[in-house]
Amino acid sequence: MTTTQPKPLRKSKGLMHHINRVGWLFILPAVALILVLCFYPMIEAFILSLQKGKGNNLSWNGLNNYTRLFKDKVYLQAVQNTFFYLIIQVPIMLGIALLLASMLNDKTLRFKGIFRTLIFLPCATSLVSCSIIFKQLFSPSGLVNTLLLTWGWISEPYPFLTEATSARIIIIVTMLWRWTGYNMIFYLAGLQNIDYQVYEAARIDGASAVQQFTKITVPLLKPIILMTTVLSTNGTLQLFDEVRNMTNGGPNNATTTISTYIYKLSFEQVPQFGYASALAYTIFIMVAILALIQMKVGDKQ
Amino acid sequence: MKKFLSVLLTVVLLASFAAVAGAEEKTTITVWCWDPAFNIYAMNEAAKVYAQINPDVEIEVIEVASNDCETRQTAAFISGQMDDLPDIVLMQDNSGQKFLSTYPGMYYDLTDKIDYSNFADFKVNYFVSEGRNYAVPFDNGCAAMFIRTDILEEAGYTLADVTDITWSRFIEIGKDVKEKTGVPILTCEMGLADFLMMIPQSAGTWYFDEEGNPNIAGNEVLKATLETIKQMADAGIVYEAVDWAEYISTLNTGKAASTIQGCWILGSVVLAEDQAGKWGVTNIPRLDNIEGATNYSNQGGSSWLVLANSENAEIAADFLNQTFAGSTEFYQTILKSSGAIATYLPAAEGEAYAAPHEFFGGQAVFADIMEFSAQIPKVELRLYNYEARDALRDALQAYRDGGDLDSLMQEAQDTVEFLMME
Repeated sequence: MTTTQPKPLRKSKGLMHHINRVGWLFILPAVALILVLCFYPMIEAFILSLQKGKGNNLSWNGLNNYTRLFKDKVYLQAVQNTFFYLIIQVPIMLGIALLLASMLNDKTLRFKGIFRTLIFLPCATSLVSCSIIFKQLFSPSGLVNTLLLTWGWISEPYPFLTEATSARIIIIVTMLWRWTGYNMIFYLAGLQNIDYQVYEAARIDGASAVQQFTKITVPLLKPIILMTTVLSTNGTLQLFDEVRNMTNGGPNNATTTISTYIYKLSFEQVPQFGYASALAYTIFIMVAILALIQMKVGDKQ
Repeated sequence: MKKFLSVLLTVVLLASFAAVAGAEEKTTITVWCWDPAFNIYAMNEAAKVYAQINPDVEIEVIEVASNDCETRQTAAFISGQMDDLPDIVLMQDNSGQKFLSTYPGMYYDLTDKIDYSNFADFKVNYFVSEGRNYAVPFDNGCAAMFIRTDILEEAGYTLADVTDITWSRFIEIGKDVKEKTGVPILTCEMGLADFLMMIPQSAGTWYFDEEGNPNIAGNEVLKATLETIKQMADAGIVYEAVDWAEYISTLNTGKAASTIQGCWILGSVVLAEDQAGKWGVTNIPRLDNIEGATNYSNQGGSSWLVLANSENAEIAADFLNQTFAGSTEFYQTILKSSGAIATYLPAAEGEAYAAPHEFFGGQAVFADIMEFSAQIPKVELRLYNYEARDALRDALQAYRDGGDLDSLMQEAQDTVEFLMME
């Protein structure tokens, strides 16, 4: 970097150099940690993905694990399910979060603090307990079935979590409940940076609430919308806790995600860590590609 | 104040070091197992027995769910971080071959430490790898029907009416009981997967052929098994509990009249003290029109393993040898309250086995179960037992949703073959 400095600044080069060195020193621990905790396992996992065998009896397998993927019906189903969750859940969640955020950003609204807290509160629950609670709610003898039965809407308990479509929907509902507030906080923070005068001016110009939302809020929040989209996409592609605890991939792999399948391959079935690592790498590739597309589409600069 | 605090902290720290140093004399053997009414209870009783033989050893039992036991071992073996593992672990017989062959050298060789002639052969075999023994057999998994005789009576049946019957007769009686009492005759965990193991074995069939290749597509017994289960579910006589906890509670609260399960469930059945005298035990229904179908099968069962990495492996092995593999008296104690029916042959001669059980209206349930147990058709468990069962479970689900059975079974066969491929 210092070599590109123009000549007149030559005198301060020593200082810049020094500052740079100190700067590097400060980030060195973080870099070292990232290298050891993030990149090293990634490389190890890649090496593992080139091996085959059960448990600890591993041997080289070349790229066979990667070609095997395309013949694996469960994997293909898992990819399909994962994208189903992604395509349905992320837009709904971000939409609701954005609406809630702009509603709660209204200066005239009373008890804002309470509403914000209530909507954010689900994020404080652990994923596992939240999944277990939803599983209980929708079990044959759970609250939802009991209510529907007493109101006479159904005559027999509905098997919400053992019927493919409803199981998927309930997993999506659980994710919405758990994550909408989380994204709303990002939007609220973003909205603080939009000057209230902009809205006042728009109102004086006769813009309706909807116009304000689509013409001011959304464009100005674009970077944050982009960030939450990337984060949510990433999170959904790695979806694990909810599915694992609510349906464990059932019925008949209808709710299996790539992550739960990886877990199954490593810890439930006769362990095939090589193949499981290859699966994990496909998630990595998907996340990278999707993030790239979203960046290109969302951010013109 | 600050100074005082730091002094205090130092003192506390030093004291705890001293405490650790002082306690070092006593060896602690940690054990993982999962059922408080059953194997945890038995292990604690064994600890009491061993405390008199070797008072310097303390046994610490930690409750870890059966699945978690396996997951945590897998994680430890693959990462090489074995500090968190216990000295002794209980393992499902179905998982034996999987762990012994995928993690060779991780379990302590017990071949010369235990007298295996005292155990039933089929049970010992589950944990033999390359001619060496790695486990002390524990409970018998003999399947039995535990049924509420009072509910049967209300519908006009007796225990004898559900003994030595076929599944179609069982379904008939179930419908009648449901009509007259409103109670589903059977409770089980969602998906009825247990029956996918119990019914084929009752007819002497398993998921694999003699070479260990999947034997699912076109297997008449498996086909009949799936058909039977679907008929049973369609008849509306089964309560499918969402999880294990709900399953146990349906048993104890009278939401269902019976369960067909490994006899180890006895420990949970007798927990409902208010139902004493209202239960009976009999054999399980058999498949209709299948040659070699019997009323006897196996469901579950587990064995104790010592981890090779344990510093106290030798003591742990001695502990098992003196209790689970060497004390008839110990088995008499645990039998009565937990129903831990042993595979330790000398124990069967004890009088506790012949004694009438009050909870079951004076029926000599243990003697009965021992008798069932002698008639269980033997099958050879393999590496991929659970994978095959899961494939069949998915097939069953799709079949119940209206799929074509033959093609679903072919699919299950393909799934298992795919998993076995490398």
